[in-house]
Amino acid sequence: MKTVLLITLLLPAAATILPAVGRMQARCWALLASLATLVGAIVLVARFHVGDAAFAATDYAWFDVAGICDHAYMVPDIRFSIALDGLSLWLFALTALLLVVAVLVSWEAIKDQQSLYYRLLLLLGTGMLGVFVARDIILFYLFFEFTLVPLFFLIGIWGSEQRRYAAIKFFLFTLAGSVLTLLGLVAIVLWVWHASGAPAMTFSIPELTKYLQAHAMPYRLQVWLFFALFAGFAIKVPLVPLHTWLPLAHTEAPAAGSILLAGVLLKIGTYGFLRFNLPMLPDATAASMPCLLWLSVAGIIYGALVALAQSDLKRLIAYSSVSHLGFCMLGIFALNRVALQGGALQMINHGLSTGGLFAIVGMIYERYHTRRIADFGGIAAETPVLAFFMVFMTLASIGLPGLNGFVGEFLLLMGMFQRAWGTAVTEWTTQYRVISVLAVSGVVLGAWYMLSLVARVFFGPLRQRAPCTHGRHAEPIADLGLREVLALVPLCLVIVWIGVQPKFILDRMGPAIDQLSSQAMRAADEKEELTPRRQAAKDEGKGRMGERKMGERKMNQEKYEWPKLSTCLPLSFSASVHSPFPYVLFLPSSLPLCGFAPLRENSIGRVIPRQKPLFDNIWNSEAERPGADQLATELICVP
Amino acid sequence: MESYIPKLLIAIPALPLAAAAIVAVLGKRILREQSHWPVALALAGSCLASVVLIFAVQQAQKDHRHEHVVRLWTWAVVQGAGSGEQGAESGERGGSTPYSVLSTTNSGLSSPAFRMDIVLRADSLTAIMLGMVTFVSTLVVIYANGYMHGDPGYWRFFAYVALFVFSMTMLVSVSNFVLLYVFWEAVGLCSYLLIGFWFEKPAAAAAGLKAFLVNRIGDFGFALGVFLLWTTFGTLDFHDSKVETIPATPGHVATTIVRVDPQEIEDPNVPGTVEPGIFGGHHVPVVGRLTKDHPFGEGAVVTAICLLLFVGACGKSAQFPLHVWLPDAMEGPTPVSALIHAATMVTAGIYLVARCTPLYAASPDAQAVVSTIGGFTALLAALIALTQTDLKRILAYSTVSQLGYMFLALGTGSQLGVTAGMFHLFTHAFFKALLFLGAGSVMHAMGGVIDIRQFGGLRRKLPITHWTFLFGCLALSGIFPFAGFWSKDAILAAVAEKAGEAQSGWIYEYLYYAGTITAFLTAFYTFRAYFLTFQGDERIPKEAGHHAHESPAAMTGPLVILAIGALGVGAYFQWMGDFLKPDGFLMQTPVLKALQIQAEPAGYHVPVVATYPWSPHLTVALISTAVALAGIAVAWLFYVARPDLAESATKPAKLLGLYALSHGKFFIDEIYAALIVRPLEALAALLALVDRYVIDGTVNACGAFPRALGAMLRPLQGGLVQFYALVMALGVLALVGALLW
Repeated sequence: MKTVLLITLLLPAAATILPAVGRMQARCWALLASLATLVGAIVLVARFHVGDAAFAATDYAWFDVAGICDHAYMVPDIRFSIALDGLSLWLFALTALLLVVAVLVSWEAIKDQQSLYYRLLLLLGTGMLGVFVARDIILFYLFFEFTLVPLFFLIGIWGSEQRRYAAIKFFLFTLAGSVLTLLGLVAIVLWVWHASGAPAMTFSIPELTKYLQAHAMPYRLQVWLFFALFAGFAIKVPLVPLHTWLPLAHTEAPAAGSILLAGVLLKIGTYGFLRFNLPMLPDATAASMPCLLWLSVAGIIYGALVALAQSDLKRLIAYSSVSHLGFCMLGIFALNRVALQGGALQMINHGLSTGGLFAIVGMIYERYHTRRIADFGGIAAETPVLAFFMVFMTLASIGLPGLNGFVGEFLLLMGMFQRAWGTAVTEWTTQYRVISVLAVSGVVLGAWYMLSLVARVFFGPLRQRAPCTHGRHAEPIADLGLREVLALVPLCLVIVWIGVQPKFILDRMGPAIDQLSSQAMRAADEKEELTPRRQAAKDEGKGRMGERKMGERKMNQEKYEWPKLSTCLPLSFSASVHSPFPYVLFLPSSLPLCGFAPLRENSIGRVIPRQKPLFDNIWNSEAERPGADQLATELICVP
Repeated sequence: MESYIPKLLIAIPALPLAAAAIVAVLGKRILREQSHWPVALALAGSCLASVVLIFAVQQAQKDHRHEHVVRLWTWAVVQGAGSGEQGAESGERGGSTPYSVLSTTNSGLSSPAFRMDIVLRADSLTAIMLGMVTFVSTLVVIYANGYMHGDPGYWRFFAYVALFVFSMTMLVSVSNFVLLYVFWEAVGLCSYLLIGFWFEKPAAAAAGLKAFLVNRIGDFGFALGVFLLWTTFGTLDFHDSKVETIPATPGHVATTIVRVDPQEIEDPNVPGTVEPGIFGGHHVPVVGRLTKDHPFGEGAVVTAICLLLFVGACGKSAQFPLHVWLPDAMEGPTPVSALIHAATMVTAGIYLVARCTPLYAASPDAQAVVSTIGGFTALLAALIALTQTDLKRILAYSTVSQLGYMFLALGTGSQLGVTAGMFHLFTHAFFKALLFLGAGSVMHAMGGVIDIRQFGGLRRKLPITHWTFLFGCLALSGIFPFAGFWSKDAILAAVAEKAGEAQSGWIYEYLYYAGTITAFLTAFYTFRAYFLTFQGDERIPKEAGHHAHESPAAMTGPLVILAIGALGVGAYFQWMGDFLKPDGFLMQTPVLKALQIQAEPAGYHVPVVATYPWSPHLTVALISTAVALAGIAVAWLFYVARPDLAESATKPAKLLGLYALSHGKFFIDEIYAALIVRPLEALAALLALVDRYVIDGTVNACGAFPRALGAMLRPLQGGLVQFYALVMALGVLALVGALLW
């Protein structure tokens, strides 16, 4: 399986090297490569066993620093480490599926520079697959950023009118956030290295997770790192109000770009939250829960309302993505089992239904050369098969029971209700209740904008088309061809499958999500426990807490409060001096030193003597260098 | 016979589903004009199976088996908290947080396992609903064979109808709230597809959209109710199982009533037991205590759940204020109006409330709301129906009104009331389907014209339609001995009974008056439509052309069968059948037994079997018959004998604006547009602007900042070498100065 995963991951990228000439060959090669990728993904899904945490793992030392600089004070152990778990398996499979759809959708739509186009598409494919399988922070970040480059060109070259602006905005906006994310990720690595006292600085995600689950970071530090990671992931998701790159990029991108952007790239954000924020920064996650829930529900309602007012097909669907990703985030940050499963499933669901919708819009655009909703009317009479698929995808998107969207929405809303009504009454409870009810109302709004879109475009009397400048208005509009039907049918099948039998996916996803979120869920429950409003009544009634615990609890209640601004300012100053952020400076300077060593077996376990601290500029001597605990106390005790 | 129950239960929905699949795949190219065959055969098979099921269920009740559960597969499982894995982790992390103790004690509280199976169940209520649904739908499909003849979407129509029947039969036979919600929305989808069947018509497309959205608002409430149920009870199953824990003493109705054959609920995954349900088994007595010592206090949560579920019921069953979609839904083909929007789908709300009887029994406030909304809707819809001129819309408003009656009955919460509501549901299915199909027959003959002002005196041209329609009208008006008489009488009797009670009796007193006035109005508007259509001088619109003749046998056959039903079912089940009596078939439904238990104040140990006299309530019957006859007489006077009198009589009403109010449907659509739709659209437009200019503007401003900074610094790099030299010299000076300092 190890080989299958490696091949599947690298196949799209490898296919780009093939010397394809002529347009026929380029797209055929791309189709073959993407189909092979899909087959690989299906094999992986079939062979995956419930509960596998590191399925088909490959693990090589990559930047072998130790061999080059023997006197190094720290040894960055960056590895080429890939594996699948229950969460990444499905996102991996989704990516492989959507890649095939993307190639099929581009078949006729792309006329210029086909060879380049399909190569970029396949490169993007490897980038996206890589994000989900990477088990090393640097590798993850490489893939994470790498996805931007092909997409930048795809939008910038093959997009519509405003493509340049959209490409640059998309690139810079997401890059701005992800730079902070890198900072946060590296800071986590450095803190763990510092705290564990191990000679090798591990970048391995599972190891970091394991360490951090056993030894929590100081709360204040968690909050800062949470913000750093949040910057990149929230922009990717995107959470309102960081979403404005999305409608633009979706609208301007070619159909395949929109499919992959909506279907996969947005999931990288939510995946990042699940992979890093929840397991590594559980206390900060719990503390930020109300804020993020509010942002999510704002996204749900706001995205839906703005979608309602759109006059462009693609923009409307783009805003529907904002709304749907709000649901995903709501599920994740409700921080309980049912909701998390629903949220994670909703990631897949949104990829399928919105990917399908963008594919259909691409097909409509190919026929009518317009995206303005007002230009359409009654086209179901001309293109009944297209209308069928559109209605189907719309129903999946608005969460009709029996199709996939329902399962995710239902589970995550159920979990949210569990959070709001099921636990003890705390000062947050009212907020949670409002949030949960508002979120359910998003379901109504979703049906409104999607169904009125269908009604405006597909139903009613067939609208006479305005004479088109391309002079193409004379040619009759053909219904979907076999290629297009074949592009959509697999999506529909998976949609129905998830709707009827979600157990298959949930069973495989469950353990992975539990493993990632158990700390955060515990922290959230603790937080609920620490801030009950009806404290006295509850204690009298149930006699659960002893007096000692009452005292302890009061003392530690502030643990889950947000840092106040007055404490933030000195803290940020102190953090800039004491926290591991300056360590980050080390990284760019060390990487050239490391060089790119050929892949070879792991060299962990070599003891490197700590002879020469590199941090003389921060702590003047070895003696003054604070230990991990001291550092932690310092950070907490800053006023 | 009993062992067939699981097979029957699976076959009833499976046959229509298979037919839908066959027609969907083969209909367009191969079956074409023969597309009705698979559907008709499948539905006939389902109908037969349902009849057998009714007898099988009845048979099983003699052995005190009242509930039959079939588990198909597991839909979703989310593992619960507090598993061993979690405990190990908390130990591991224990050192770093002093709260590990707290969190472990708390872990049971956080989230119980969520498990959802695809389970079917059969009991009396389900069996009756299944029989009704499959019977009416079989007749409607036969009728549609004639009605839809020659339509380009012929196969599509039958595929949708088969899909609908599948969804509807599943809706009444599933065994938990999630699946109920699933099929609740699925029938809504079929309704949406069938209302918009002629999607080229803008009105049809708009009506479909409206139906879906209004139903979604109802479903919003339903979903909230389901979530609250789950957070309150921790399960969403109706059915139950821990029967063995209750000793089977003769006095234990609750026990005997839910004894389930253990083999039928055997689940390979959960050895021995199934999670306890909300309604069944030992939970039936629990319901009685909910109001007293439920942890959430005074049953407030139960009231909230009941009201939220009722919002869903209002959406599906078109009750005020969510009734607005049903009249518009008449844009769909007439057989659909008869099947979905009169006989079956719209009664899903009644089914839901009846199914949740124990919950409602725990909350008298919710019951009062159900009754009040029901009674109010009955009156309001009847008032609107008075002045409508579209035959199908008159019937649609009458459906709304009759559904209001059913809720009125269910809201009394008494055994008589619930039985009467279900009885009315049953009889109404017959005569309302009949009326709609009759209207379709008229429409068929009149070339699609449905405005009652444009035709008249059709009794000679359409004799069979005329007689069957008259039967339907008499049944709807509640004239002895037609079906509507018995069930409407039972409803009014139940309300009158409840009005005599000390607690909140006054509400029911007013509701009784409302119901009686509605009976008068119903008779009036029904016969107004009848007289204008079939009596008087013969008038035929131009559109009819040469088609103004009786419909083919495929259409009149179902009309005759339904007319016989409209005449006979009421009397038959009143006198002959046993399934609506207090100890009869319907009352063997476990959830309805809760009513008998509730009657005992001290607890649930000695249930009192209520002893309502199950005979026509004579006074009530006399009064309602009198007002119905009066309504018919007034209609006759206005529209046959003295048409001029109608003018002069309605003049004051017109002056006061009452006529406009009724004709304009109380302007509820306009009020919604002004209060909800347009403000939301305006907000959406505003937010779109905010998005474009404020949020994106801020982003662009951030992007412009570095550029502006660069622009500021640009003069420094002007390319003037002398300037560079000057700066360099100054720099050197400063450096030297600093070193020397």
